[in-house]
Amino acid sequence: MCVLCGQDFVAQAHWTDRHVEDRARASYPGADPVEYQRDRRRDRGHRVVLTNEVLSHYGLRVEDWGGSKYVLRDRKGRSELVQDLGSLWPAATKLAGRPPDPLDPALCEALSAAHDG
Amino acid sequence: MTDRAVEDRDTKRPVTVVTGFLGSGKTTLLARVLAAPSIANTAVLVNEFGEVGLDHHLLRRVDERTVLLGSGCACCTTREDLVGALLELLDMDQRGEIPRLDRVVIETTGLADPAPILHTIYTDPVLQHHFSVDLVLTTVDAVNGALHLDRNPESVKQVTAADKIVVTKTDIAEPNSAQGLLSRLSKINPSARIFEAAFGELDVRELLRPGGVGAHARPASLAAESGNPHDVGDTYSVSVTFDGAIDWTAFGIWFSMLLHARGEDVLRVKGFLDVGEAGPVILNGVQHTIHPPEHLGEWPDEDHRSRIIFITKRIQPEELLDSLLAFHELLGARPLHLHAEQSIPLP
Repeated sequence: MCVLCGQDFVAQAHWTDRHVEDRARASYPGADPVEYQRDRRRDRGHRVVLTNEVLSHYGLRVEDWGGSKYVLRDRKGRSELVQDLGSLWPAATKLAGRPPDPLDPALCEALSAAHDG
Repeated sequence: MTDRAVEDRDTKRPVTVVTGFLGSGKTTLLARVLAAPSIANTAVLVNEFGEVGLDHHLLRRVDERTVLLGSGCACCTTREDLVGALLELLDMDQRGEIPRLDRVVIETTGLADPAPILHTIYTDPVLQHHFSVDLVLTTVDAVNGALHLDRNPESVKQVTAADKIVVTKTDIAEPNSAQGLLSRLSKINPSARIFEAAFGELDVRELLRPGGVGAHARPASLAAESGNPHDVGDTYSVSVTFDGAIDWTAFGIWFSMLLHARGEDVLRVKGFLDVGEAGPVILNGVQHTIHPPEHLGEWPDEDHRSRIIFITKRIQPEELLDSLLAFHELLGARPLHLHAEQSIPLP
């Protein structure tokens, strides 16, 4: 972990995180680093909102943890710290006792009902 | 294309994986490919020195050594032997001991699942910055291919992982059975371009060209054939588009969750996604291994719709479509099933 910014050095960016990194690398030299941080924060916030719509079916909730990780909690107060979506699902499986499955008809029904209602 | 993508293409050494069942003609094909004058500065990694002599100055033998990761999933294994061999080549290349590598060809054993090779290259902390798999070539023997597909799940995985399929020994196969095999292959993996080759004779330049748009055009004779859903066993493929741009973050949530829950049944995913930007995102994955998605700066053709193919085992196309429909509020668009006659060329 970097002692100055608190961010981990992650050798491998998860494929769902690549677009923000790629945008930063593609920007011209001397580009405003604040812009990148704003972009990254917005992206993480959006991901948290969307992921929670799915996780609520399993009694779980995720929050951004200092802009570097996510913290996943269940209703019993247990929590897991995860780096990205690649490690979120195994942690959610552990807390929920079953793997969150997008093909699960009950989840699909809950999502449809939430939006229709 | 983004500057980053251009830079990647310029600096990463392309890796071509040649796979295929035992006796399906991998080495014959390789010998033919390496003999082509356009294929200079290519290193070759093979598992065994076969009977067909591959006379090549950059030939290395690797012993398949896999390290199973904690999850115990067979596709997410690291091939330590490949890491060692590729790092050695990289070292020689960077020291200038060999001419700059234009390409590395990895020939798998007949029983190998190609997914761990992709996983190794895309996750190794060093290799991921220096190599990129541009093509998976799968050989299928026209005489015994159908039997291999019936009996060996590895053979089906090799076909689903392919960007291009070379059907070999068509000169000695019964014309009807060869035609049946071609049709079956295109149903198992509609995204792959199929070549026919007798004695390894084919256009090497065309074969090694990374798949461009329209590259998966099928032999015309297949277009009119009626499909028999039973002849592909429990393997299904479905082409999907959306009625608008989709939210890339939402798609990442849906797909990473699917891969975690059912990854071993998602044999292949390939396509363009319209994420509401100037160009599409190219998605390409084999089982749990997803190539780093590339965000293009512009669309390569006039058609700006998402087009994506899923090849699955045991998961019915309707299950995927129903799930995408349930997620449509998050995704920002509804999925539409593309039938064979509406299929759109893929990257």
